[in-house]
Amino acid sequence: MKAVNRISMRIFVQFFLLSALILGTFTSCEKVVAAKEDPEMMKVYGKSEAELTAPPFVPRPVGNRAATKLVVNMEVVEKEMTMADGVTYNYWTFDGTVPGSFIRTRVGDEIEFHLKNHPDNKLPHNIDLHAVTGPGGGAEASFVAPGRESVFTFKALNPGLYVYHCATAPVGMHIANGMYGLIMVEPEGGLPPVDKEYYIMQGDFYTEGDFGEPGLQAFDMNKAVEEDADYVLFNGHVGALTGENAIHAEVGETVRLFVGNGGPNLTSSFHVIGEIFDRVLVEGGDLVNEGLGTTTIGPGAAAIVEFKVDSPGELVLVDHAIFRAFNKGALGILEVEGPDNTKVFGGKIEEKPYQPVDTKTPIDGDKVENEGEVKITSLSEKMERGKTIFSQTCFACHGATGGGIPGAFPPLADSDYLNADVNRAIKAVKRGLSGEITVNGNVYNSMMPPQNLSDEDVANVLTYVYNNWGNKKTEVTEEMVKEALQ
Amino acid sequence: MKAIISRLAVCFAIMIQSQAFSQSGDMANIKGGEFLPLYGTGEPVVIEDFKMDVYPVTNKEFQQFLQKNPRWRRSEVKKLFADEGYLIGWKSDLDYGSEALANAPVTNVSWYAAKNYCECEGKRLATVDEWEYVAMANEDQADAREVKDYNQYILGWYETPNTFNNEVGSTFKNYWGVYDLHGLVWEWTLDFNSVMVTGESRKGSTGDNNLFCGAAAVGATDLMNYAAFMRYAFRGSVKANYAIKNLGFRCVQDMNTKVNL
Amino acid sequence: MKKLLTILGILGMFTSCNMYDDAPVIIEPMDTAAVDLSVELPELSIYNLPATWTTQNGEDIELQELRGKVLVMVMIYTSCKAACPRLVADMRNIEKQVPAEDLDKVQFIMVSIDPATDTPERLKEFSKENLMEEDHWMFLRGTEEATREFATVLAVSYKKISPIDFSHSNIISVFDENGVLVHQREGLGVDNAETVAAIHEEVSN
Repeated sequence: MKAVNRISMRIFVQFFLLSALILGTFTSCEKVVAAKEDPEMMKVYGKSEAELTAPPFVPRPVGNRAATKLVVNMEVVEKEMTMADGVTYNYWTFDGTVPGSFIRTRVGDEIEFHLKNHPDNKLPHNIDLHAVTGPGGGAEASFVAPGRESVFTFKALNPGLYVYHCATAPVGMHIANGMYGLIMVEPEGGLPPVDKEYYIMQGDFYTEGDFGEPGLQAFDMNKAVEEDADYVLFNGHVGALTGENAIHAEVGETVRLFVGNGGPNLTSSFHVIGEIFDRVLVEGGDLVNEGLGTTTIGPGAAAIVEFKVDSPGELVLVDHAIFRAFNKGALGILEVEGPDNTKVFGGKIEEKPYQPVDTKTPIDGDKVENEGEVKITSLSEKMERGKTIFSQTCFACHGATGGGIPGAFPPLADSDYLNADVNRAIKAVKRGLSGEITVNGNVYNSMMPPQNLSDEDVANVLTYVYNNWGNKKTEVTEEMVKEALQ
Repeated sequence: MKAIISRLAVCFAIMIQSQAFSQSGDMANIKGGEFLPLYGTGEPVVIEDFKMDVYPVTNKEFQQFLQKNPRWRRSEVKKLFADEGYLIGWKSDLDYGSEALANAPVTNVSWYAAKNYCECEGKRLATVDEWEYVAMANEDQADAREVKDYNQYILGWYETPNTFNNEVGSTFKNYWGVYDLHGLVWEWTLDFNSVMVTGESRKGSTGDNNLFCGAAAVGATDLMNYAAFMRYAFRGSVKANYAIKNLGFRCVQDMNTKVNL
Repeated sequence: MKKLLTILGILGMFTSCNMYDDAPVIIEPMDTAAVDLSVELPELSIYNLPATWTTQNGEDIELQELRGKVLVMVMIYTSCKAACPRLVADMRNIEKQVPAEDLDKVQFIMVSIDPATDTPERLKEFSKENLMEEDHWMFLRGTEEATREFATVLAVSYKKISPIDFSHSNIISVFDENGVLVHQREGLGVDNAETVAAIHEEVSN
């Protein structure tokens, strides 16, 4: 009896354990499941200081890390910096750069934001992060006078790329002076890895002087209200992404650009000349569009663009509202190095002259000389040319078929006057004719003005006339004209 | 009670003494009038005649005050009346640093210190409305707010860093004969805490009725007056015990004030 | 028996899920000693302000005389129609949550920002209208200047917007027995649990 009990006990225990194991694996606690779906419930592990970077670089990707308590330390600094060659400007900045530091977090992170206002600053400032769900995006909570620090907390609930900016009155002025930047909230697991990532932010600037006017330029409020920008720049100053500041990639690498637009007013039509965006996270959200040439980024908005560079060269980043790129500074360079890829882009393979042949050279009544034209030699060609001249010059008086106007202008059709003397005809055309003449039995007393035609054209038109409407078929040559005129 | 009497006694004693030294310095007569301030109820405000210090209080003047009023020295001031930034730039209790700073405006002083200084001179701090009334003027006219370049001029100054090291009188003399209301340092006012501006400046004049009772009644009358906006935003961001590098003060006096015991 | 324990132990492993904690906010206990009136005032104490005030009963007092009690303060004016009735209701709400035996250690104070209109008589009337006649309720008025100065310590902003109306911030403040500010709550009709907890903390140490 005992032995049987023992065995059955064992079986019972094993069965119990096995079922417990199976149940345990498959029925997770409700709350854990809920946390996976609802960012508000996500638990945070540990505490660390956020790595912040100056543009154009970004902090390391979050990868697989769990949500954590993240401390962000940011300082507002008002300082004069170079805007363009010979031009300086009093910028108001987050962490001394325009745009301000890039903040990289993950959905579910609880962020403790420390905003410090340097004691040398004149003005109070604050911050509104579009990633914050809460009043003013943190503006009220972070409002801080110079020489003080304010701390507030928020939880990142939505993944995406968001703009942050100062929201102290007058808001437009604070933004126009450079107080903006980007905060990336990566989804769980992070963004798919790429080879290179860069941070670019467009902004429009309004100065008292025109573009390029040297010296310290003051902010012009009226121009800002009129949205009449003097400078439209990537990363705060001319040349931020060109020359030795250009960004780099190798052929075959995948590149991801975090592109924001601080405004304050203008919308960017962001394009990389020579590349197509393989993937665009439209407006920095979940929606993915593929194969775009240009993407629109409004003020206060951002987008993530990804592309693979296939052939070497200089790719030019522009705002395709093109006068901004070439006349206001919205231009950057991505240098791609590596072996040529002639299949994708073969480059120029040939160059040769292009001269289309044109028989119908137009005659201008005021033109004196036909310069450098191919000489017409054959009769048919002369007839063609002569017809053209006749229809422009002669027909008005002598009629389209040479009928003339009775009592005013003599006919040219079957004209005894013409047929009797070629040389006389030539002189009439070239030098004009006045006084009484009799043609075909009728008297005409009018004035024919000299025709402004070259000798060659006189020959052509007379050849035409003589070979039409019953006249003696005479071919008049240029030599004959020259001889007659001597 | 004892404390109060002894405090007042000290103050009166200094007041009399300071009259002898004419410590109160130059004051300008301001003729009163009516105007519509940027921040208010939308109703015009009446200003009575009064006198205003021509210059802000300098380091040297404040040092003399500290010599007679040890309780306002950095090592002795109570935390209720001044934060950690109080006179932080001074080398010691009575040493403001180099002689070059003698005539620079005193900054990093709290409202309580400023208020007390003025009281000891038989004067007081200006109200926000009084201060703004005098600050409306440029060199030629009492109300220059409509002058096109006026705002631009002031905004330009606000962008210039580190003006607190300049001497008083280094900016322009306005219509009333008062210097440095713009372009040197911000200045404490008597009722700076009548400005109910929070960090959230985008709700405009609708105000936040929960935070501020009657807030909808007080708003900005002209959104384009950005220079004034910035001054009000600054006032709304400070508390009375703050000591800020770009913030000094000057005193005013009612027309019929007589110094008597 | 051993086996049973092992089973229970293993089962225990599977049931340890993340239980979401809904514990209420704990206020850290303050490190204030019991009040000894001969000891010098702490630097941050409001009793450092020298002004004299008048109560609704027409008595002149110095704030210092209140030393030893936990203070719950708000700034209002009696002709206010908008927020003040709600602030008063909030104060009443808080008072209800303070245990009866603690009430004699707490002073609920309403300071007027309109001393011109709010004479002691008017304040007395107001206290009657609002059923706040017990000793632990107090109404104070002072000079314009003292009022303005007092407001700065509380970080209360206010502005006169018409002959009878003021715009002002709505803040309830709690001070410990030595007059040091320990807690503030801004806004109307907000959750008063923290304020009550702060009062309790001060009374019981």
